[in-house]
Amino acid sequence: MFAYWNAKFDFIGEEDMIAEEVARVVEKHADRRGALISVLEDIQQKYGYLSRGALEAVALKSRRSLVDIYSVATFYRAFSLSPRGRHLVSACVGTACHVRGAPGVVEELKRRLGINPGATTTDREFTLETVNCLGACALGPIVVVDGRYNPNVGVAKVEPIIAKAIRGSEADDALHDERIFPLNVQCPRCGHSLLDEAHLVDGQASIRLRGNADGQSGWINLSRLYGSVHSVTDTLFPNDSITSFRCPNCDHDLAGPVHCNDCDAPMVPLGITGGGIVQFCSRRGCPSHTLDLDSGRSGATAAFNAPERGSAS
Amino acid sequence: MMRLQSVQDLARFRQDIYSEQTIRYDRPTLVVCAGTGGQASGSNDIIRVIKRVLLERGIQDRLGLRITGCQGFCEMDPFILVQPGRQLYPKLRMEDVPRVIDAVLGDYVDEQLIYKDARDGRPRYSQNDIPFFEKQTRTILGSNEKLDPIRIRDYLALGGYTALEKVLSSPDPDAIIQEVIASGLRGRGGAGFPTGQKWRLARTSGRKDEQKFVVCNADEGDPGAYMDRSLLEGNPHAILEGMIIAGIAIGATEGIIYVRSEYPLAVKHSYIAIKHATELGLLGDRILGSDLRFNMSIVRGAGAFVCGEETALIKSVEGKLGEPRQRPPYPIHKGIDGHPTCINNVETLANIPVIINRGGAEFAKIGVPGNTGTKIFSLVGKIKSTGLVEVPLGIKIRDVVYEIGGGQVGSAKIKAVQTGGPSGGCIPARMFDLPIDYDSLTKAGSIMGSGGMIVMDERTCMVDVAKYFMSFLKDESCGKCFTCRKGTQRMYEILEDISKGKGTLDQLDLLEELATTVKDTTMCGLGQSAPNPVLSTLRYFREECERHVWDKKCDAHVCKDLVGAPCQSACPAGTEAWRYVAHIRRGEYEEAYRVIREANPFPSVCSRVCNHPCEEHCRAGEHGGEAIAIRALKRFVTDRVDPSTYRPLRTAYPDSNSPKVAIIGSGPAGLTAAHHLSLRGYRSTIFEQAAKPGGMLYSAIPAYRLPPDVIRKEIESILDENIEVRCNAALGRDFTIDSLQSDGYKAVLIAIGAHKSLRLGLPGEDTPGIYPSIEFLRAFNTGGFALARGHVGVIGGGNSAVDAARLALRQKEVKSVTLFYRRTRAEMPAFAEEIEAAIEEGVILEPLVTPMRILAKDGRLTGVEFLRNKLGPRDASGRPQPEPVPGTEFTASLDTLIVAISEGSDTDCIRAASSSLIEMSKFGTVNADPATLLTNRPGVFAAGDVVTGPNTVIDAVAAGKKAAVMIDRYLSGTTLRQPGTARLPHIYVEPVGPPGDGNGNGHRAVAPHVAVEARRRSFAEVDGTLSTEDARREAGRCLRCDLEFTQPSKTNAEVSVVEGVAL
Repeated sequence: MFAYWNAKFDFIGEEDMIAEEVARVVEKHADRRGALISVLEDIQQKYGYLSRGALEAVALKSRRSLVDIYSVATFYRAFSLSPRGRHLVSACVGTACHVRGAPGVVEELKRRLGINPGATTTDREFTLETVNCLGACALGPIVVVDGRYNPNVGVAKVEPIIAKAIRGSEADDALHDERIFPLNVQCPRCGHSLLDEAHLVDGQASIRLRGNADGQSGWINLSRLYGSVHSVTDTLFPNDSITSFRCPNCDHDLAGPVHCNDCDAPMVPLGITGGGIVQFCSRRGCPSHTLDLDSGRSGATAAFNAPERGSAS
Repeated sequence: MMRLQSVQDLARFRQDIYSEQTIRYDRPTLVVCAGTGGQASGSNDIIRVIKRVLLERGIQDRLGLRITGCQGFCEMDPFILVQPGRQLYPKLRMEDVPRVIDAVLGDYVDEQLIYKDARDGRPRYSQNDIPFFEKQTRTILGSNEKLDPIRIRDYLALGGYTALEKVLSSPDPDAIIQEVIASGLRGRGGAGFPTGQKWRLARTSGRKDEQKFVVCNADEGDPGAYMDRSLLEGNPHAILEGMIIAGIAIGATEGIIYVRSEYPLAVKHSYIAIKHATELGLLGDRILGSDLRFNMSIVRGAGAFVCGEETALIKSVEGKLGEPRQRPPYPIHKGIDGHPTCINNVETLANIPVIINRGGAEFAKIGVPGNTGTKIFSLVGKIKSTGLVEVPLGIKIRDVVYEIGGGQVGSAKIKAVQTGGPSGGCIPARMFDLPIDYDSLTKAGSIMGSGGMIVMDERTCMVDVAKYFMSFLKDESCGKCFTCRKGTQRMYEILEDISKGKGTLDQLDLLEELATTVKDTTMCGLGQSAPNPVLSTLRYFREECERHVWDKKCDAHVCKDLVGAPCQSACPAGTEAWRYVAHIRRGEYEEAYRVIREANPFPSVCSRVCNHPCEEHCRAGEHGGEAIAIRALKRFVTDRVDPSTYRPLRTAYPDSNSPKVAIIGSGPAGLTAAHHLSLRGYRSTIFEQAAKPGGMLYSAIPAYRLPPDVIRKEIESILDENIEVRCNAALGRDFTIDSLQSDGYKAVLIAIGAHKSLRLGLPGEDTPGIYPSIEFLRAFNTGGFALARGHVGVIGGGNSAVDAARLALRQKEVKSVTLFYRRTRAEMPAFAEEIEAAIEEGVILEPLVTPMRILAKDGRLTGVEFLRNKLGPRDASGRPQPEPVPGTEFTASLDTLIVAISEGSDTDCIRAASSSLIEMSKFGTVNADPATLLTNRPGVFAAGDVVTGPNTVIDAVAAGKKAAVMIDRYLSGTTLRQPGTARLPHIYVEPVGPPGDGNGNGHRAVAPHVAVEARRRSFAEVDGTLSTEDARREAGRCLRCDLEFTQPSKTNAEVSVVEGVAL
């Protein structure tokens, strides 16, 4: 990931979520159709589950009875009323996966994790779930661990998958991963190289930018490795804040016209020497980023006219 | 992006895209599928490496990269499709990427990486020539490879939004509706209601100027179907365009995409598409500057199958419980918040731009009358080429399954396809000529559904599938109608009973009654169609259900409580393979031997020639894994343990009054029967035509596979004081069945094997130099006569043909051996490893030929004239039929011809030997009741090849064991046919280390074998024995499926769970 530095998901545990947060979410969806489901989805997205406290807060805020809220929360499979583990393991039990041996895979997952589907291990490491179909039917059985799809899973592949989750899906070894590579970036406005030999990140010259958010300003050095999440800064910008970035050479504001597909904050485009642009989201903690080599035109102008690219790769 | 103000603006904008070359078609482009399936297979890694290589080499300008949504050929993910050459490089690893790039830049094809079709192994240099694509009509799906779903410019460059342009040039809702009616398009969600008619009703519905809605139903709930996901993910603007046109047609101003939250990528791409279309002015309050208004939003479903039902969907959109309500009023009259709402499926909407652009009448030319256009199916399950296929309606199921899908995977035959998901049913293979259209599928007891087509083979249990759907439906039933809520639950419970071996035949009738009741008394589509999976299973697969109920057998090896450990249940003789493998792991070889011998009196023989069904069903071998080398482990044990280690358990001892049994034939079936009869306290006499016992083992299997000494020792260890063997005693010549009965034998077992080769049916077949394969094999194996000389031809493709070919090669006066077969190597019924070994040794394979004429000179064979065949349509078994091609005659000069097209029993002797005829089948085998082995004549049983036709040793052993049980029951006067019992693991063998861990590289052990050069002319045994180290490591790879049944339950509380929040 070429993200605006590394923000890890903070595990909430059993703590009840704050009523103000719920109020904010309810407010956000107030005039939208199907608000309740969206509200619950947002809360679950944020905290991993719907606590009793959160449901009560939703009821209070939306002036509906708790029974109403509870009935919706329990009707749809997507909602969980108990806290989930650090790793979420979802085994697809769609028909195609079923005929290709998903039941055996689920049995093996149960055995290895010591829990039934829907439950979480006592150490809160794993939650096991079954889902009806993930739409990757040609590759079944499918097991998704922390959002990563594992195709053609047989009983024998279960153990390595769990071991990998414990180790961490994305290895941190930036230097030996062939999917990770350095970029030569330049300011899309003045064309000046943004590489800073004086500050090394991941053992390499880094991308140096000036940042300003919530009244604070300072230097930020991002790894030039596409795929690395490492960065160094002299200032603590609060999580979720949108930073405005400036080129150290021409001092131009680098915010581009394109907005993040995930959080709608402005994307920051940087030119790539030789053609292409890399963009990353200016919101701290948002992992959205793009690398576009196929813009048809190269350098600075492309950065401000480019269509959006997904954060998938 | 600038907001476009008119239709002309849009046309100009599209022109700009072409002239500015924002999308460059002037250089080669790598197309990579990054849909959900592609990403699951690692296409993101491939994309990253492509980017890396482009940057490292600085060739961004010479080579394009297009990241697309799902292209449908998911089996081959991750792949790169090269444009414009259309070469497909499938299943790539990251290290392959630079090679593909080299090839593209160097304008050549990488022969190693290029797609090769599984059917013939030959490369296909263009995607258009790949059979999977060749037979499809990709009207809708074809666009996915041409565009990046998050770039609206890509869609525009392909002519996207031209249908909208056309509509907006002179907006006329009635004309649009007329066009859609003319197209004959029917709803692709499954029910098939005519789309144009729905739109016409929606147009006239409601008060004037009342707000109306268009909803795109992307709640693709059918588990096993993903067409809608791939369309929304891969080409979202096409759906948007369809929805805007629908909005204009019916007068709606708001569009909602209702999409499952299980499809995060589809949600994301729809969101981006709406954003871009709005920015461009294609959506919003003034579409392209006109006074038409259409806004769009996304509502995510939260995982409830019933919300695919339109009235439940509306409730869900409103933020309520997704419970259906009674119709009418239909949503087109009262939908979201009481307003008229037109709900269309994703695929239906994707067809709209095509209809507007081509014209309805032109569209109607695709497919068949009443079922026009194409339909996308998700062809998944037990099939070679899985993925999305788009075919014209009216195509036969057979064409989709075999021509496009490539047929079965591995050895298990395709048994059925399931269409329509939980609302549909299974259609058996014998009905594959059925055309795929709404009405035929309904008539057959299934439905079209949204397009799931799940292929099931012999390893899919139909009881289990029905149970699966009922389990799904009982969970997903919203509970509003009592009959659906309770009915699905009860049907599930009955099926659960059946799958556990607790079912009764009465329950099958009850199931049918329940199914009919639920169908008749529920309110919504979910309940009304819920019984379909059960009804179609009962209609087409009742026998399979009864087998579960009566014999407690799940022949597909799926139902856990009937199967236990699959290696054990797969073994016809019931050998506890898991148990002896576990003992080998522990170093307890004698214990292992006793386990093997307990189940099978021919362990040394089977450790060499068994077709090892245990390995075929081994769970370690699933999904690209490698099955445990069970046969090699058995060989390891039998080679090192003396047979006397095993002392059989005798349940009775004969006395002078014990009835005597006559057994005709001393092959594995006869000897096994004699052995087990002896253990049960019976004396038997075995009559053998040849000079020594052994039957087919001696006469049919060459020594390099099965040394005669091994057979002799094995037989010696079986024989005991209760078994008398009379050699040189032939049925019909020296005795008859009548004479045996009058000599006081109370029961007779016919187990004479299949010793007679079938004839070609050509004139001159008795010319000297031509031999039936069995005669040829027997002459050498038992008499040492080498009948082959010069150039030898063998006709056939079974094990007997390969044995004959390899044996001929070893005979002194032989110059060459050619194997002539009518189909291709892939269809040869012989064991694959035997064919491989034969070719290695120098046997020439001449596939696709039909013998036409036998050529002879001076009364001796000189050659055979053949015609070349091509593969024609497939028969009911799924095998392509060979068709001789006229004019392709050729002559093979041969000095010896061995005919090995099949074997029958020499049943003439039976006819002659019995005063009352024993019933025969038209294949020349004895008709014996498969459940009891009893023939039509009281007291006369038959077992082994004489009943089944040529078969395996282990099947003969199993038949012998069964014959002993049946004869015992017969002689003791109990009922022959009794309900079966499931054979489950029940003895706990403590594992050493975690199961599945062999402390090795995880690969299957391979036994040493004699090198080709040394064995080509030798009769020494080819295969050797595993080393102790290898054997124990291999045993450690076993996943120990038995532990689930045998492991003492855990007492510590490490499995406790975090309880849910109770409100």
